[in-house]
Amino acid sequence: MNEETKKKINQKYEHKLAHGERFWPDSLYKDAVVALGIFLLLILLATFVGVPGEPKADPSDATYVPRPEWYFLFLFKFLAIYGQIPVLGRIEWIAAVLIPGIFLIVLTLLPFIEKKPDRHYSKRVLPISVMGIFVVSVVTLTLIADHPLKWDAQYRLTSLLQVISGLIIPTAAYLLLFLFSFLLKDQRASQGMVLTAGLSGVLMVGLTASVLFLAPVPEVEEVFVANTLPDRVVAGQDLYSIHCVECHGDDGSVTVIEGVEGLDGTVTSPISGMDVLYTFTDATIANIITYGQQDLGMPPFGKAAGGELSVSEIDYIVTFMRYSWDDRFEMPEIPELFPPLAEGEVPSYEVHIAPIAKRFCISCHREGKDNNNYLMTSYDEIIHSGDSAPNLVAGDAESILLKVIQEQNILDENGEEIIGVMPPKSVLKPDVVDVWVRWVMAGMPETVDGAAALSDIVEPVER
Amino acid sequence: MWRKLYAWLEDRLGLEEIYKATLDRPEPKGNWWNTLGSASLFLFLLQGVTGIFLTVYYTPSPDHAYDSIQYIMNDVAFGWLIRGIHHWGSTLMVIVVFVHMVRVFVTASYKYPRELTWIFGVGLLLLTLGMGFTGYLLPWNQRSYWATEVGTRIAGSVPLIGDSILRVLRGGPDLSALTLQRFFSGHIWIIPALLAAVIGVHLYLVMRHGESHFPDKDD
Amino acid sequence: MTSSNRMSRRDFIKVTIGAIGGVMGVLLGVPVVGYLLQPAFRKQAAEAWIPIGKLEAFTIGIPSPFSFTRTKVNGWERTATSYGGFVLRRSEDPKEILILSSRCTHLSCRVNWNEAAQGYLCPCHDAKFSIEGEVLSGPPPEPLERYNEFKVDEDGNLLIFFEEA
Repeated sequence: MNEETKKKINQKYEHKLAHGERFWPDSLYKDAVVALGIFLLLILLATFVGVPGEPKADPSDATYVPRPEWYFLFLFKFLAIYGQIPVLGRIEWIAAVLIPGIFLIVLTLLPFIEKKPDRHYSKRVLPISVMGIFVVSVVTLTLIADHPLKWDAQYRLTSLLQVISGLIIPTAAYLLLFLFSFLLKDQRASQGMVLTAGLSGVLMVGLTASVLFLAPVPEVEEVFVANTLPDRVVAGQDLYSIHCVECHGDDGSVTVIEGVEGLDGTVTSPISGMDVLYTFTDATIANIITYGQQDLGMPPFGKAAGGELSVSEIDYIVTFMRYSWDDRFEMPEIPELFPPLAEGEVPSYEVHIAPIAKRFCISCHREGKDNNNYLMTSYDEIIHSGDSAPNLVAGDAESILLKVIQEQNILDENGEEIIGVMPPKSVLKPDVVDVWVRWVMAGMPETVDGAAALSDIVEPVER
Repeated sequence: MWRKLYAWLEDRLGLEEIYKATLDRPEPKGNWWNTLGSASLFLFLLQGVTGIFLTVYYTPSPDHAYDSIQYIMNDVAFGWLIRGIHHWGSTLMVIVVFVHMVRVFVTASYKYPRELTWIFGVGLLLLTLGMGFTGYLLPWNQRSYWATEVGTRIAGSVPLIGDSILRVLRGGPDLSALTLQRFFSGHIWIIPALLAAVIGVHLYLVMRHGESHFPDKDD
Repeated sequence: MTSSNRMSRRDFIKVTIGAIGGVMGVLLGVPVVGYLLQPAFRKQAAEAWIPIGKLEAFTIGIPSPFSFTRTKVNGWERTATSYGGFVLRRSEDPKEILILSSRCTHLSCRVNWNEAAQGYLCPCHDAKFSIEGEVLSGPPPEPLERYNEFKVDEDGNLLIFFEEA
């Protein structure tokens, strides 16, 4: 750049300054308004959206699908799409390091690469087109980052669209842009470039939209996170009821295990006793749950040792044990398992039956246990599964399940017991039995709304 | 009385000069797009303030990090607000800094005499991403743990020196307490110090050359 | 005319900037004060009936030691603190019991019953308390603390009412 151009630029700037404004307060005023807007937006986000809860880091959980921060998602997706290229796609560092590296160097040295003093956009068609395609790429790649890139029948089309929009179009567009800028002259060159950039941008957006429309993101199973102490205790109790009750009993007082396949007669220390709770730290109890005590018959439960419980879940169980049984701790107020029923009110599966089943039944009535194939982890299973199905018939007070929870076992013709009373080692409280009976008699509604429609709540009429 | 005190202070501090140099500057006619830079600075300061307050309760250790954040969110008065602002502020800061870069690119404001301003600006963009990357691990939850696992592995795919980079980032071959400590130190001391220094240079250059004017047809 | 209008607009802008700064300062400042000063306002009230042993296990006329542990939750950490004391049964009557804390009122060392000296001795600064907990010699400013509320349940357990200060 020669001195004359510099002088011209500086003169022009002086002129602009003379007809401009003052930094204080004119510009600062706009800055302050924007800052206030951002600040209020952040307060709103913090208040109404909050920070999503996440379970504690669990290095042993190999099933977790890793995902980078959202602002690196575009790079992550680019890597995935790049990996689809035959042969070249195998060399990961080209996409992970080389391409971003080149991009960064170009970006940094931009003032020395684009040396012409022209500033108006009409004279900078090439750079603006390149940047435009880059920005559209970043945005669209971020948007489709969670969509599967697989070549089975279900995803073949959308995967192809992703590759086209994320890799082929931008590459082709860049090539065309440089071709135009070198081969064509002035007017025609810029026309070609504007056309290329505009067209590829529209295509990328269109393809991304169709990917979003055609391929629903596979739903990530939401992991429950207990935040408050009562939540943690309840979560711990539910998990205890599923995984520990069989051997240790619902109050943790079992000393000799009974009725558990392979462990019958095994001696265990009562885990609700002070010998255990005073002398074992939280970490010790968590380790025992995680790794088990194989020589004593206790299997491992933590994911780290091949079990199914996460670090957070084991943490909840320990919290439950401490606050329920350790007399040095004061139990916080715990919400009820299910809301009490009014006279004439019909319970629903989602509000009443599901938590009851979780607390008292699922321990055995789930996959992989000796339970006559009667599973109780979902609405359908409770109603339809089992070797002696149907265990529940709407409106039938003689349904098998209702009988066994009211201490009547089921016998075959020879008087042999087929199904014993349930739960095998304890008796359900009358209010829990009442929920079951009402639910079955009213037609077993799944949802709250369904139950409300069947309800005939006796309410004093006010006049 | 006040006048005298002011004159005394003015004599020693040179307030007028500071005022003239920093605030009472002439500028070309402004535009709302020009606020992106100051918005980035505002977010940096806000992140700094909320971040400092988070360290009052946060503990950088695999045993305590998660629980201390749970404590901030559920038990400390307004902890949810401070962390919420810090969490969303990071997202917004990345967006604002990026849009600021695109704006400067579109108006070609990086051309003579503002080349250096641009180069330091690119540095600021990278440092902002570095803040995001290091800060993400600190809550020590599943999402952050595995994001860092992947992120460091990508950095480790550099040919020849990849393994060394990975070890430097993680403080060893594995993601561990060492990684957390390193990311914490980077997040609250090293990168913010660099950011502050580069912001200083960037602002000095902005003041020295003035904000660029929006280009018109003959530019 | 225009110039004076312009000035007033300027002043308005300046006031607005100041107001925006003030609003943000308050919106952030008030929560931050709560955030930092919360420990001053939140008191962990802990009180409970604590069993310290079978009544019959304490011999009449001789102070017998007991101890118990309470767990406090500090933030996300649980710490166990142990407390101790002495039970003196004056007669068969379950109301005639004196229960003393073993914490010396001087500097919180643990006192011990010394049969020969017929008093509680503190190992730190040689203080001596009477069997009733009164200061006999040494630096302590006050007599030993008493657990005044106690009861005996149906199973014959002696319980004291514990209040954390």
